[in-house]
Amino acid sequence: MKTLSSLKVLVVEDEALVSMLVEDMLTDLGCSIVGPAAEIEEALRLAGSAEIDAALLDVNLGGRPIFPVADALKARGVPFAFASGYGEAGLTEDHRGAAVLQKPFREADLRRVLEGLVGQTA
Amino acid sequence: MARLAETEFPGDAEADDHARLEAALAEEIRKSDALARVTEAVASSVDIDAVVQVVIDGAREITGAAFGAFFYTVIDSGGESYTLYRLSGAPPEAFSSYPTPRKTEVFAPTFDGVAPVRSDDITQDPRYGRNAPHRGMPEGHLPVRSYLAVPVVTREGEVLGGLFFGHPEPGRFSARDETLLVGLGAQVAVTIGSIRGAAAARAELAERRRAEERLKFALDSARMGSWDLDVVTKAYEASDLCKANYGRRPDETFTFADLIATIHAEDRPRVLAAIESAIRDGTDYDVEYRIVLPNGDLRWLHARGRAAQTADDGGARRLAGVSLDITERKRAEERQKLLVNELNHRVKNSLATVQSIAAQTLRSSASPEFFREAFESRLVALSQTHDLLTRESWAGASLREVFDVELHAMAGEDRVSFSYDLDVRLNPKAAVALGMGIHELATNAAKYGALSMATGHVAVSWTADQNLLRLTWAESGGPPVTPPARRGFGARLLERGLAAELSGGVELTYDAAGLVCQMALPLRALEP
Repeated sequence: MKTLSSLKVLVVEDEALVSMLVEDMLTDLGCSIVGPAAEIEEALRLAGSAEIDAALLDVNLGGRPIFPVADALKARGVPFAFASGYGEAGLTEDHRGAAVLQKPFREADLRRVLEGLVGQTA
Repeated sequence: MARLAETEFPGDAEADDHARLEAALAEEIRKSDALARVTEAVASSVDIDAVVQVVIDGAREITGAAFGAFFYTVIDSGGESYTLYRLSGAPPEAFSSYPTPRKTEVFAPTFDGVAPVRSDDITQDPRYGRNAPHRGMPEGHLPVRSYLAVPVVTREGEVLGGLFFGHPEPGRFSARDETLLVGLGAQVAVTIGSIRGAAAARAELAERRRAEERLKFALDSARMGSWDLDVVTKAYEASDLCKANYGRRPDETFTFADLIATIHAEDRPRVLAAIESAIRDGTDYDVEYRIVLPNGDLRWLHARGRAAQTADDGGARRLAGVSLDITERKRAEERQKLLVNELNHRVKNSLATVQSIAAQTLRSSASPEFFREAFESRLVALSQTHDLLTRESWAGASLREVFDVELHAMAGEDRVSFSYDLDVRLNPKAAVALGMGIHELATNAAKYGALSMATGHVAVSWTADQNLLRLTWAESGGPPVTPPARRGFGARLLERGLAAELSGGVELTYDAAGLVCQMALPLRALEP
């Protein structure tokens, strides 16, 4: 299993407090943070060009769905997980079965999901 | 007449006989004529009172009675029976002071419909005068000696009433009179029976019409369409409202095939299965389904019905019921579901926010006491912005309102001055974020900054132009300010979190005269 240390994780989250929590968790896990992006445009830009090993995507970004960003990551082969208050019910048909972190989540949940994502590409 | 012609040479005695015969014949002819007239009048009457009057007038003419009466039983709409009478040869007052005739021995055979009673002198009849209090005719009664009474009985045996005739002289009524009256009584019974039957039929028809109108009114009021399917021929009848539910005009044809074709393809098998089950098993037909109108609109209908087990083989012959447009209800259910999902999402996000506040307060807290105070005051700050938004149904809040609730919590509002031209509407997310940021500024000011001293003051000013909100929080009159050695939660939230969330810039300047916080936030990220 690939280590999470120095893993570059794109964070897309539109709520400052939640974003800060996720950043702290990722930092504790030894990851480095790409972003965080709070807007779709910024997220798409990073998803398309930044150096990323994995991504954590808030499903709803100020009322706009995250799925274009997910599609862009999929196209690049970057593994990602959704973070959502809706749980899996908030996902579109295309993304059913994707990894989902139900908010609120623990650092251990985040680690497990990230390890799963990295395992996919290992 | 033929017999008159046979007697060619009548003597005196013969002449007397002849005259008697002639008189008898004339009398018989008169009676027959009268009977024929009465019979015809009775047969053509459509009203019971008129029949009764014609009969007693006619019968008096036939029998030569001085007075006649018809006592008859009437059942009112409430089911109560009472006795009415009509008179002939006497004014209505003649009986008005007496109670209804009772079933005395004289009257019983008539009222029980047993047999006619004919007496040459009723006062000499053994059955007469045996009942208290009058013991015969009451004082002032019409003077009756000759008496003839005939019951009026239907073929089914129901006694409708009795025909009574009297004469002050004895021996006036013959057996022939009795026979004629019995026949007349039978005819009256038939006529009254048929009048009653017709009235009952009319009443039933009227009641059915009323029931149908009530049903139609109820269906129309409830916007319910009614329908009826012939299970065998598939003939389908739909009310105007039912057609309207399917987007058809009243004059348009709408067959069973049209109905099935209108149902949404995904729901069609379910509806057909429900129809089949209702017909086969007699289960209630109760199904909600979508239809596609000719104009392409989608509607939800709820149909309920039941099969009527009327076919000769005992199976269902018809399936009938109602249909109701439930599109609005379905939409409301859909909205409700979305709202519940949205609420769940918000609650989960709030929990994540609280989790973040707890984690970061813990990081920057020197002691459990400090943690508790800081954590609780941040929770209250968050809660107050939520209260403000709830008061406005989460449509948004104004920037000044957010300042007011957060500063009120710090009891520092009178030491903060505001300067702005226009208040700014904030969407709920921006209101929560700014509320938290303002809380951090106010807490810091109260602990270490301008509001920690009586002389201190905060000046808040903003302008909103060129799609940008420029806001300044400037403290003065407090203790001298030095930049902190380590950036705390408040600074991180303002400079990093808030700036990122609201896609703008936030800068803290640790000016010696007082802390200054400057924000430049795009209005598109703030406005609802």
